[in-house]
Parts: sequence; structure tokens; C-alpha cells
Amino acid sequence: MDVTLSINGTDHRLDLDPRVTVLDALRHHLGLTGTKKGCDHGQCGACTVLLNGRRVNSCLTLAVMHDGDEITTIESLGSPDALNPLQDAFVRNDGFQCGYCTPGQIMSATAMLQEAEDGWPSYISRSLETDPDLTDEEIAERMSGNLCRCSAYPRIRQAIAEVRDARGMAAE
Amino acid sequence: MTEAYLRPDTLDEALAVLADGETRIAAGCTDLFAATARKILPGRTLDISRIPTLRGILHDDSGLTIGATTTWTDIATAELPPACRGLQLAAREVGGPQIQNRGTIAGNLCNASPAADGVPPLLTLDAQVVLRTKDGERSLPLDQFLTGPRRTAREAGEIVVAIRVPAEALEGAGHFLKLGARRHLVISIAMVAVRVSLVEGIVQQAAVAVGACGPVAVRLTQLEKALVGQPLDPHLVTDDLVAQALSPIDDVRADAPYRAHASAELVRRALAQVTA
Ligand SMILES: Cc1cc2nc3c(=O)[nH]c(=O)nc-3n(C[C@H](O)[C@H](O)[C@H](O)COP(=O)(O)OP(=O)(O)OC[C@H]3O[C@@H](n4cnc5c(N)ncnc54)[C@H](O)[C@@H]3O)c2cc1C
Ligand code: FES
Ligand code: FES
Repeated sequence: MDVTLSINGTDHRLDLDPRVTVLDALRHHLGLTGTKKGCDHGQCGACTVLLNGRRVNSCLTLAVMHDGDEITTIESLGSPDALNPLQDAFVRNDGFQCGYCTPGQIMSATAMLQEAEDGWPSYISRSLETDPDLTDEEIAERMSGNLCRCSAYPRIRQAIAEVRDARGMAAE
Repeated sequence: MTEAYLRPDTLDEALAVLADGETRIAAGCTDLFAATARKILPGRTLDISRIPTLRGILHDDSGLTIGATTTWTDIATAELPPACRGLQLAAREVGGPQIQNRGTIAGNLCNASPAADGVPPLLTLDAQVVLRTKDGERSLPLDQFLTGPRRTAREAGEIVVAIRVPAEALEGAGHFLKLGARRHLVISIAMVAVRVSLVEGIVQQAAVAVGACGPVAVRLTQLEKALVGQPLDPHLVTDDLVAQALSPIDDVRADAPYRAHASAELVRRALAQVTA
């Protein structure tokens, strides 16, 4: 089946079996292997990409469902000699050990910071009505869709908190 | 039509496809893929995620209409009356943020897991499930729509188009508490939704529902009767009143007596927090 996927600003025309997930289309059909496959069941977040700016698990959605949608992957964020702020913060804070979960963590954090700026509440936000403060605890809560088998969580949170502070986002 | 995948833009087209033979409906796919190992979806797939009229929340004098493909994120970020707070809290605990951005409310109900987080809060809101075929529409109270674990009253040609909450059930304030090994990405051991309306400190309406403690989530009508007409007092909730209404199971996550006790404690806590 013909589908045109817009990935990182470039249109890709593909002829895919309707059962191919976005994750497999990226990795096997387009050679974009930055997005990782951990569980393939929506449980680990390693495959997180942005779909029209919002984070989703690319293993849980079919490529043919996304004709015309804008998909953003880790490949678009920065390059080895020009890291984007989150990538740079993860490197400087040791926000990983093996690094397998890292692309998913960084894509998820990218969307999470945007969600917090847009005033979206999390479960632990004190009120659903007022804008939440992005405390360290809120960061941990909001990153709960991303698991790290190496348990680098404290450093992941620290890296994200550094970017939060650099962006001047509120934290009590 | 023989295509394996169809993505109509209108509900009428979707209903025509469905009337035309064996077809699987796909919305957010967060349950569909978890249930089908290796993601081999046999037969035809009807993608309803791009039908604009199925998504969004409408609040008017007659109550609240939540479109079938409204996502958990849509619900959590919407401005809704305090009675819907339980539903909004549940929305922020389904899976994780990535799941909430795709998973839909009708998908949650149609999948009919005994641990579906959407069910207890919607039971406390007297929700009706609106189903449509190409020939007409019918509405079922949620407790009649859910007929057992993973079973619903939905017939083959029907699409759930919306969930309706009547205006009378939008009074008071709601709350939701869920118990699991961790808060995210696990199946609940028990979850509780409450909705209470008070006039001068006296309970006028009380709605209490418990999920994951029986084949389907249930309202605790005996307990509700004991609460109405009294000052709101969580201590009126005895373990017995809660256990009577439930048929908890033993499984790897918890045994039955633990579930019964934990549900009673969750009901007490939810009632203590509902107006706080
Ligand atoms: C990692 C993970 C964690 C999860 N955690 C939770 C959790 O904590 N709590 C919880 O309640 N759920 C959880 N879920 C389950 C799931 O995310 C929710 O139930 C979600 O709301 C399902 O919606 P969906 O749109 O993705 O459904 P789909 O997967 O698209 O569909 C589910 C079923 O409903 C049918 N269907 C969908 N829409 C309609 C319609 N409009 N009319 C008729 N039939 C329809 C489909 O044919 C299918 O059988 C989790 C799932 C995953 C993968
Ligand atoms: S690979 Fe998609 S969530 Fe684990
Ligand atoms: S760094 Fe190894 S899984 Fe996270």
C-alpha cells in the first residue's frame, strides 16, 4: 500500500504492507535506526517519536495510519558536533549507561517540556486547574512512560532538570 | 471492498464498510496491538482515528458528550466540571504519557478489561454508551454495555460513537484512586471512583464504583444508600459493605482478601479527598 510519511521535514514515499508499524518503517525501510525497539508492546518507551509534536510509541501505530502526519525522530535533533541542549545535557550528566533507552528518553523529554509549558497537568500536579510547577518530582512522574534497564534515572532526571532551568521554566 | 486497511474520513463511510463484512475497528491501537502477538491483524482493519466528528468533548445543558476517539490526553487537558475530576485523574494514569496521547476512551470501554481505568469514573457519572449502525442509533447504560471480562453488548455492525453523561450526574465532585505495583505501565490491583454532591454538608448524591475486583467494575449501591442523607463520613464505609458488592479474584498481582480490604480503604481515602 502506498503511503507518504513526512519524517523530519522530508517526504518519503513508501510501498508498505499495512501491518508495518511506524517503528519498523523507520528502522527497516528508511534506515533511520536511532529510534530503538525495546519491548515492541508499548511498555518501555524506547521507540518514542513525535507525531505532530506529541510523543507516541512508534511500535504501537501503523505506518499507513500516518499519511500526511509529521513524524520527528532523534535524527533531527542535533548532530555529533552540534548536540541539541537535551542531548548535550544527557552527555554531560551521564544520563545513561548502555544508551539503548536514550533516544526514546530524549524524544520523550522534548515533548514533556513542551507539555509542561503548555500547562498540561500530570497525575501528581496539585491542581488540574492551575499551571503545574515542573519540579524534579514532576519530571520523574512525566517521564514514567520511559523505562531504563540500566536504571540511570537519577542522572536522566538531572539532565532534564538542567534543560528546564536553562529554559527558565518554573520549579519550586 | 477487499483492501486490508481502510481509513474513511466520515462516519457514514465507516458504517458502510462495517456493514459490508468482518472488519476490525482500530482507534489508538494501544490495546489492539498488545492483544495480538506480532501485530498480525488478520482480515480488514477500519481506522476510525481520522473521523473528525468522533473526537472532542461537548458540554451543554443536557450534559456532556465525549466523542469515541477522544484521547486520554484530550480528557485530562479539557476544562470539565468538578464531577469529572475522577475521569480526568484516571486519564493521567492510563499507561504513560505516550499511551495517553493515542489511547481513546471508546477503545478502553470496547476492550472491556476488568481493569479498564475509564470504567469506574464513568460509572459514577451514569454514563451511556452511544452505538451506531448504518441504520440507526441506540444508547446503553455503561453497566449494560459491559457484559463480562472482555465482552460487550456491541454488535458486529456497530461503532461506539460517543459516551454521554447526563446533566444530573455532573453535580458534585469526583475523585479516582488506583492501586498497582507502581503507578504507570502496570495493570491495576484495584481502582475506585467516587462522586459526591453535598448541600450544607449533607450528602445528596453518592456514587461509588470499584474496578479490577470482579469480572466487571461495579457501583456499590448499598454503600451509596448508607452515605446519602448523612454528613460525609468515610468511616461509614465498612469493609463488609464494600466486600458484599465485589467478587475479587486471586491472581499474581494480589489475592482476594487483600483486594477486598484494599478497595474499602481506597473508597475511604477517595471520600476523604473528594471535597478537599
Ligand atoms: C503499555 C500499556 C499500558 C496500558 N495501561 C493501561 C492502564 O493503566 N489502564 C487502562 O485502562 N488501560 C491501559 N492500557 C490499555 C489501553 O491503552 C486503553 O484501554 C486505551 O484506552 C485503548 O484505546 P485505543 O484507542 O488504543 O483502543 P484500540 O486498541 O484501538 O481498540 C481496542 C478495542 O476496541 C475496539 N474499538 C475501539 N474503538 C472503538 C469504537 N469507537 N467502536 C467500537 N469498537 C471500538 C477495537 O476494535 C479493539 O477491539 C495500556 C496499554 C498499554 C499498551
Ligand atoms: S518498543 Fe515501543 S514501547 Fe517498547
Ligand atoms: S541506559 Fe541502558 S537502558 Fe537506559
